Amino acid sequence: MLYFTLASKAYARNLQYRGAHMVHNIASAMFGFMYACIWIGLGADHALGEYGTQGMVAYIAFTQSALWVTSFITNGLGIPQTVRTGHISLDLMRPVHLFPHLMAREWGQIAYQFIYKSIPIYLVYYFVFSIQLPGTLTSYLYVAIALIGAAYLSICMNYLIGASALWTTESSWLYWGNHAMINLLAGFFIPIEWLPSWLQTIAWLSPYPYLLYVPTRLYLGFGDASYLWGTLFWCVLLTLICLTATLLLRRKVEVQGG
Amino acid sequence: MTMRSWISLYALLIRTSIRSRMQYKFNFLLGTLLAALIQISEFLMVAIVLYKFGAIQGWSMHEIGYLFAVMTLSKTIYRMFADEVHHLEKYLVNGELDQLLTRPMPVLLALLPQKFRLMPGEILQGGFLLWWSLDGMMADGQISWVAVPYTLLIIGTGAVILFSIGLATATCGFWMTRITVLQNLTEDAARSAAQYPLTLYPKWMISLLLFAIPVGLVNYVPALYILRGELGGWILPLLAVAALFCLLLSVRFWQYGITKYQSTGS
Repeated sequence: MLYFTLASKAYARNLQYRGAHMVHNIASAMFGFMYACIWIGLGADHALGEYGTQGMVAYIAFTQSALWVTSFITNGLGIPQTVRTGHISLDLMRPVHLFPHLMAREWGQIAYQFIYKSIPIYLVYYFVFSIQLPGTLTSYLYVAIALIGAAYLSICMNYLIGASALWTTESSWLYWGNHAMINLLAGFFIPIEWLPSWLQTIAWLSPYPYLLYVPTRLYLGFGDASYLWGTLFWCVLLTLICLTATLLLRRKVEVQGG
Repeated sequence: MTMRSWISLYALLIRTSIRSRMQYKFNFLLGTLLAALIQISEFLMVAIVLYKFGAIQGWSMHEIGYLFAVMTLSKTIYRMFADEVHHLEKYLVNGELDQLLTRPMPVLLALLPQKFRLMPGEILQGGFLLWWSLDGMMADGQISWVAVPYTLLIIGTGAVILFSIGLATATCGFWMTRITVLQNLTEDAARSAAQYPLTLYPKWMISLLLFAIPVGLVNYVPALYILRGELGGWILPLLAVAALFCLLLSVRFWQYGITKYQSTGS
């Protein structure tokens, strides 16, 4: 119940800014539009594999919308800020574990972003580019599971980025570094099978493809449900790493000034 | 004060900014390393498209590398000297601009050296890519050594244009306070768009990127002349004039905007 309250409060707080967020959606939609234009331009001269031009436009539309669920979440789950203000010591004193506490708050944020960012952005592309929707209910079910798993992976990654703030003041660089990896290895702009083989190997050894590529493939009807085992594996592994990181950071925490 | 004393004061403030940053060497190294990683992954995205499809709308791998490198280097010069213009929102939201207003110097001159950002990752990556593209095109006989001074010139004019766009966007903050979203459009999205040949985009978007948010003047238009011999030699002086015009316009806008500043106080 506590965790649900934390999530719903985070959702409600965001609701106050939905006007400003709608403006933000325009910027985000413009980015996707630009990427789609690049693929349309390329599609005029080249065959775009199994996707075709329309398929690549649908691919970009989905990844650009899914970014708000699996990538653009709170930088380091807000830990860097609490380290700077010293609030982290209070958070660690609470009778709840830091990881599920911050995670619950982030789920509220993600739910909000899904409804007020991902869906409106996707709707714009749906009408502008006349995108086809998946035909079967099972596709939607698989995509939903893949997206929830991807959001969870993203929470874990940001928790670890946030935890690094106890060791360095430059953790925001890790956040942006993580974004750069998402752009490249998660199949945000280019499907992973088009990467050079060495980069494909690196990508599949990391959790990144499960953030965007796997949900997108499932959505476009190219992938099968066995991908989801990979999502599950990374969810378990990253959970263990996050719990270990919490143990380490408890010993590292320093209260600076007052 | 004379121009010379302004410059020496500016240099002193920059040295102070660098020295304060060097107090945290590990952080500096980590930041530099990750910035380079981000730069490389950004270029890899473009490079992979080229690797897969060979050319984009008739532009070869070297030509696209050139577009990317010029944009990176121009942006690096702009952000090294004027990173705080890009981060003006922080000053507006926290009311920190008040402190700068009390200084006996123009606000912009006080703001710029607040944080001189060393960007070795970007310079190395952009420089290497530029060298690789120019070398490749010279080996093919597509361009001669004259392209080198021309390129240095357009990196400079490009930095001025990007600074002007950044300053004009930041100035909107005097009315809007929050400017990150606007910067997303005018700086990030526009710059990313110009990393590819503009002919990829619909006509209205090309006009937008040439006249409203003129990022196309940073790399695409000069590349048409320097790499492909299109347009004519007149384009380079015209670009310099255009850059100065953008600068003048944005500084005038800034001077007007600052009269509308209202402190948030606390």
